[in-house]
Amino acid sequence: MSRTLVWRGALIVFVLAVALLSAYPLEENLNLGLDLQGGIHLVLQVEVEDAVRSESTKDMDRLLQELRDAGLGTVSASLASSTEFEVVGVPRARDSEVTRIVTEYLPGWNWQRSGDSIEFRMEIANSAEIRNLAVVQALETIRNRIDEFGVAEPLIQRQGMEGDRIVVQLPGVDDPERVKKLIKNTAFLEFRLVAYPLGGGGVGSREQIMANYGGSLPAGVEILTGNIEDDKGVILGEQFYAVEDRPVITGRDLRTARPGLGEFNQPVVNFYLTHEGGKLFAEATGNNVGKGLAVVLDGKVATAPNIRSRISDSGIIEGNFTRQEVEDLSTVLRSGALPAGITYLEERTVGPALGQDSIDRGLKAGAIGLALVIVTMLIVYKGSGINAIVALSLNIVLLFGVLAYLGATLTLPGIAGIILTIGMAVDANVLVFERIREELRHGRTVKSAVDAGFGKALSSVMDANITTLIAALFLFQFGTGPIRGFAVTLSIGILASLFSAIFVSRWIFDLILSRRRRVERLSI
Amino acid sequence: MEFFRDTSIDFMKYRKYFVIVSGVMLSASILAVFVTGELNLGVDFAGGTQLTVKFHEPQEINDLRAMTADAGIEDAQIQQFGDAGDNEALIRTSTVPGQDEGSQQLVMDALNRNFNASPPSGFDINQQGSDALSSLLFDKDPDQVRAQDEEVARNHYDEMAKSISDVRRREGLLESWDEVSSLPLVSAEALAAMKQNTHLGEFAVLGVESVGPQIGSELRRKGIFAIVASLVGMLAYIWFRFELRFGIGALVALTHDVLIVLGLFVIAGFEFNLTTIAGFLTLVGYSVNDSVVVFDRVRENLRRSRREPLVDVMNKSLNQTLSRTVLTSSTTLMVVGSLLFLGGDVLRGFAFILTVGVFVGTYSSIYVASPFALFWENLVTRRAGRAS
Repeated sequence: MSRTLVWRGALIVFVLAVALLSAYPLEENLNLGLDLQGGIHLVLQVEVEDAVRSESTKDMDRLLQELRDAGLGTVSASLASSTEFEVVGVPRARDSEVTRIVTEYLPGWNWQRSGDSIEFRMEIANSAEIRNLAVVQALETIRNRIDEFGVAEPLIQRQGMEGDRIVVQLPGVDDPERVKKLIKNTAFLEFRLVAYPLGGGGVGSREQIMANYGGSLPAGVEILTGNIEDDKGVILGEQFYAVEDRPVITGRDLRTARPGLGEFNQPVVNFYLTHEGGKLFAEATGNNVGKGLAVVLDGKVATAPNIRSRISDSGIIEGNFTRQEVEDLSTVLRSGALPAGITYLEERTVGPALGQDSIDRGLKAGAIGLALVIVTMLIVYKGSGINAIVALSLNIVLLFGVLAYLGATLTLPGIAGIILTIGMAVDANVLVFERIREELRHGRTVKSAVDAGFGKALSSVMDANITTLIAALFLFQFGTGPIRGFAVTLSIGILASLFSAIFVSRWIFDLILSRRRRVERLSI
Repeated sequence: MEFFRDTSIDFMKYRKYFVIVSGVMLSASILAVFVTGELNLGVDFAGGTQLTVKFHEPQEINDLRAMTADAGIEDAQIQQFGDAGDNEALIRTSTVPGQDEGSQQLVMDALNRNFNASPPSGFDINQQGSDALSSLLFDKDPDQVRAQDEEVARNHYDEMAKSISDVRRREGLLESWDEVSSLPLVSAEALAAMKQNTHLGEFAVLGVESVGPQIGSELRRKGIFAIVASLVGMLAYIWFRFELRFGIGALVALTHDVLIVLGLFVIAGFEFNLTTIAGFLTLVGYSVNDSVVVFDRVRENLRRSRREPLVDVMNKSLNQTLSRTVLTSSTTLMVVGSLLFLGGDVLRGFAFILTVGVFVGTYSSIYVASPFALFWENLVTRRAGRAS
C-alpha cells in the first residue's frame, strides 16, 4: 500500500475518532435548543425613559429643597419632559446664590434663565449614562433573581441596537408564569405611616377616608389601596388607606430578606435593615406607636399592621402569602428593585412534551429518509454505492461531532438541516460517480476513470455546495435562535459532505484499486 | 443500473413552449397570491400570541371559538394541532393594543373559566411547576418526615414532585390520578394529601409564542431583506464564477422557482413564519445548486468546442447531467418527502416548500435557466451584430 494511502487513512480514522469522542454519549454532549428540550425565551425591553424621568424628578425635588432652604420660598418647579423642567419664581436679585446652588447640586444639567424662571435641560451625556446604567442594573437584578431559580446554563444578555433590550433564555424551566412574574416584578417596596385609620388595617371605601378629612386630603397624604384575597388567591375586594406620601424606609434600606414562619406558622418574609435604615425605622416606629404601618409593594398595600412598639432593625412582612410567594418575594427584595419598568417584547415557551414530540418526529423522518437514500444508492451504484454510504455515515458522525465540539445548539430546524444534508450530501458522490461512469464508457481504464471522475467533477461539486453555503450564510445573518441552528447544521453538513465525498470516497476507491495490479471492472 | 446512458434528447427544441408554460404557472402563482388577499402571517411577523393547549377531552373547534368570543377576543384563530387523538389545539390571538401580555392572560382566563370552572382546590397540578408542588407537600407533610430533618424532608418532597412533573413533561397533561399513584416515589399518604389539596386541571399549556408588534415588524423587515440579499448574493457568485449570461439564466430560474413555490404555498394555506422563510432561503440555495451543475458542464463543453453553437452545447450538457439531476432530485425528494409526511406540524410548511421546490427547481434548471441564458446570448450577439 502506498504511503499516501496510509497517511490519508490514518487522517480519516483520526477525524472519525475525534468526532466520536466529542459526540458520544450524544445526550450529554449535544446542546439542545429550547424548542427541543423545553424552556423559556424572553426578550425584555427596559423602559429607560422611566429611569431618566425619575432621575429628573429627583434632581428637580433636590434643587427645590436646596433653594427653599436658602430662603427662596417662592420657587416652584414642574417637569416639562423626561429630560426638561422649569423652575419659576426665582428673583433676579439672588442670582449669584442661585447659580452657586445649581452648579453644586445639578452638575449634569444645562440651564438658561428667562426672566423669572430657569429652564433646565439634562446634558446628553448624563441622560445617556442614566439609560445605560438602567439597563446594566436591570441586567444585574434579573440575573440575581434567576440565580435563585437554579436554572442550568441560563442566558441573560443585553441586546438590541439601542442596547435597551435584554434576552433571557432558561432551558428546562417548567413554570414559565412564575419566572415571568419574578423577572418583571419591579419590587418597589416602601413602608409608609398610615394617617387614617389608626391602629392598623384599612377601611372599606374611599368615601370613608374623605369623610374623615372633611372632604379634602391634607398635604402629604395620599390614598392607596390593597387587595383582600381568600386563601385560594381569589381577589374578594379592596381596602383603602390614607398614607403619608413620603416613605419611612424603602427597599434600598433592606440588608436582606428571608422566608420564615410567623406566629401561627404562616409563611412570612423576615427582613433585616441596614444600619441607617434601622435608625430611621426605629425613630419612625418609636414616635408612632398605635398607628398603622403600611407595607406598600409596587404602589399597593400588602398589609398594614398596627405599630405596637418601636421596631429597630428587623421585622416581618406578613399577608395572605403561600410559601412559594414568600420565597419569591424574598428573592425579589434581596435582588433589589428594578430601576425601570420592563415590557415583554417576545416570549417563546416550549414545554418539554412539545419538545420531545418534535425530537421523536424528526428522528423518525430522518431515519426513513436515510434508509431510502441508502437503498437507492445501493441499487443505482452497486458496489460503489457502499462507498457512498460509508462516506455518508462518516459525514453524519462528523456532523454530530463538530456540533458537539463547537457546543452549537441543535434546534428543530437544525434537525431538518441534518435531514436535508443527508439528501444533498449524496449529491457530491453522485456527481463524481456519474463522471466516473462516463469516463469508463469513453474507454478509459478504471484507474484513470476514477482520477478523471474526481478531477473533473470537483468544480461542479464545489460550486454547487458553495451556493448552498451562501444561502446558509444569509440564513445565519437573518435568523434568530432556531433558524441559526438550521444554518449552522446545514453549513457544517455541507463542509462535512465535501470532506467525505472528496477525501474519503477517493481514499476508499484508491484503497480498492491498490489491492490488485490491474482492476478490470469497477462496480459502479 | 443506469437510467440515462447517452441520451440525446433535444431539450432546447421546444423551449419556447415550455417558457410559455412557465409564464402561465408564474402568472397563476402571482394571481393566487393576490387573490388570496391577506397572506397567512404567523405571529412571528404579524405579532400576537399563540398558545398550544392540550385538553383532557377532545374539543370542537367551534366550541373553543365561542369561548374566546365570549371572553371578548374577537378574532381568535383556532386550529387542531398534532394528531387526532392528541386533543391539542392552537389558539392564536392578535395583540391587544395597549397591553403587552393582555391577550395571553385573557385566553388563559377564558380557558380556566370554561374548563376549570369550579376548581376543587386552588392548586392545579397541570399548571404549576414541581417547586410549587414540592412546597405544598412540604407544608402538609403527609409522610411526616419533617420532624426528623427539614433538609431531608425537603429533598424527599422535591424528588416526589419531580417524578410527577416528569410524567407531565412527557405527556403534556396529567389525566388521572392513576398516573400519579403508579409512581414509586409517591406514597399512599402523599397521594391522599394531593387529592385533598390539589386537582388535575382539564388542560395544560404546552407552549407559548408571543411576539409584540415591534418585534413582528422587525422580523418582517429582516425576512424580506434576507431573501432579497441572498438573491443578489447568488447572482454575484454566479457572475463571478461563470459569465453574465449564465448568471442571468440562474437568477431568472431562481426567481421563477421562488414565485411558483410561493404561489402553491399560499394556495395550500401554510403560514409564513421564521421557519418557512428559512425554507424559502434554503430553496434559493438548492435551486441555484441545480442550475450551477448544468452550467458547469456547459462551461466545460464550451471550452472544448468553441465553435459549437450554444444551443447544441446546452443540449449536450443537459443530456450529460440528466442522470445526476434525476438522481439527486430523487434523493433530496426522499428526505424532504419524509419530513413532509412524518416531520410534524412545525416543519410541515418548510418541508412543503422544499418538496415542491425540488420538482420546480429541476424543471427550471432545464427549461428556464438554459433557455434564458440562450436568450440573453442571442440578444447580446444580435446587438453586437447590428453594431458591426
